[in-house]
Amino acid sequence: MIATVDSGALFELLWAAPLAALTVTIAWGLVIHGSARAVEARRDGRTGLAIVHAATAFVGAALFTTTVVFGLIVMTSKD
Amino acid sequence: MDSDIILVIVVATALAFDFTNGFHDTANAVATSISTRALAPRVAVTLAAILNFAGAFISLKVAATIASGIVLADAINETVIFAGLIGAIAWNLVTWYYGLPSSSSHALIGGVVGAAFAAAGAEAVQAQGLLEKVIVPALVAPIVAFAAAGMAILITYRMVGRLHPGTVNRGYRLGQIGSASLLALSHGTNDAQKTMGVIVLALVAHGDLSGPNPDPPSWVIISAATAIALGTYFGGWRIIRTMGSRIYKMDPAQGFAAQGGGAAVLLTASHLGFPLSTTHSITGAVLGAGAAKRLSAVRWGLAGNIALAWVLTLPAAAAVGAITYGLSALFGDGALGPLLICASLLLLMAAMFGKRLRSGPAMTAAPMES
Repeated sequence: MIATVDSGALFELLWAAPLAALTVTIAWGLVIHGSARAVEARRDGRTGLAIVHAATAFVGAALFTTTVVFGLIVMTSKD
Repeated sequence: MDSDIILVIVVATALAFDFTNGFHDTANAVATSISTRALAPRVAVTLAAILNFAGAFISLKVAATIASGIVLADAINETVIFAGLIGAIAWNLVTWYYGLPSSSSHALIGGVVGAAFAAAGAEAVQAQGLLEKVIVPALVAPIVAFAAAGMAILITYRMVGRLHPGTVNRGYRLGQIGSASLLALSHGTNDAQKTMGVIVLALVAHGDLSGPNPDPPSWVIISAATAIALGTYFGGWRIIRTMGSRIYKMDPAQGFAAQGGGAAVLLTASHLGFPLSTTHSITGAVLGAGAAKRLSAVRWGLAGNIALAWVLTLPAAAAVGAITYGLSALFGDGALGPLLICASLLLLMAAMFGKRLRSGPAMTAAPMES
């Protein structure tokens, strides 16, 4: 009876779902970490470091937005 | 004439189920946002209601698939659908009363399975479909979400642990608005479709629609979207309280890990064609985000009660569905049985509501607004 379950999709889910969750978490973590550190660096007058941290936050935001858009596409295209 | 009355009763019952579905499952999308004060309670349920309404219009492809592959199509008629809906509504109300999150979809499937069993015998139920579409996903969803959210919160603390707590909390509260919105929209795209599917099934049985996979008429889409949005707006505060603060007191980072992790698991599963229950995924994620920080912080006794409710969902809804079908059949094939059952249930619910109002504050009051 267990043969009726799509084991391929199940196995893929076991690694892909946690990976997706980690991607979302790391992306938003980069936004918070990068923006907080950028503010601190700017306050300390370290402009170069502030730019690096701001860029990190930007990369995190782009990654987060991409995952949200992917989620919206999944929602609208399911069958 | 009788057939017309039964159709009206089935449509009204389906919309009532849709309302309880929104009411019951509001917690999935907003409980952690309310608990961590990312959103005010009323704002959270309003946002969820709007996005559930919008979600109902986004995807119509899953309509008419409820119970397919689980119950033989020949065994489904209007009375079976009615009895199945009553089973699902009853289980939703019982679990809401005890503040336990449980899957409305599994309750609906259980109700229809029980009613079909009573109507056509064991041959009407396809055990393989039940295993594939209900039992395996019910085991997989909480475990995967638990692991995903657990890993997510550990990485989160690693990444932002040395930052000022105020900054971190503000950041994750902001993130929770996005993750709650995504969850609410996802819920609308999934669950409103099930009610549309039930109504379409009844319209086909009545002869108003034909074809192998007819599109739901506009009035069905609008009424289903409205019912789930209204249910969401009224909010099942008891379950919101359980999910948001009774399992453990979560911080904004945990709230984000639970919601973001749960949403990621749900949408990945949906993308792979392996749909999981929103309730099971989010509850698993909430538990994972709490246990990874500190195992003893989680109220495992309550988690056990939730797991027990999940185990009982299918048989309990099936039992009510079967009994409802049996009672209805006592009055023949006409509309009298469903009419009497509806009237009895309305009286019972009015009595319960009155008793609850006399014994304490109104059940729609937001508990965490202070």
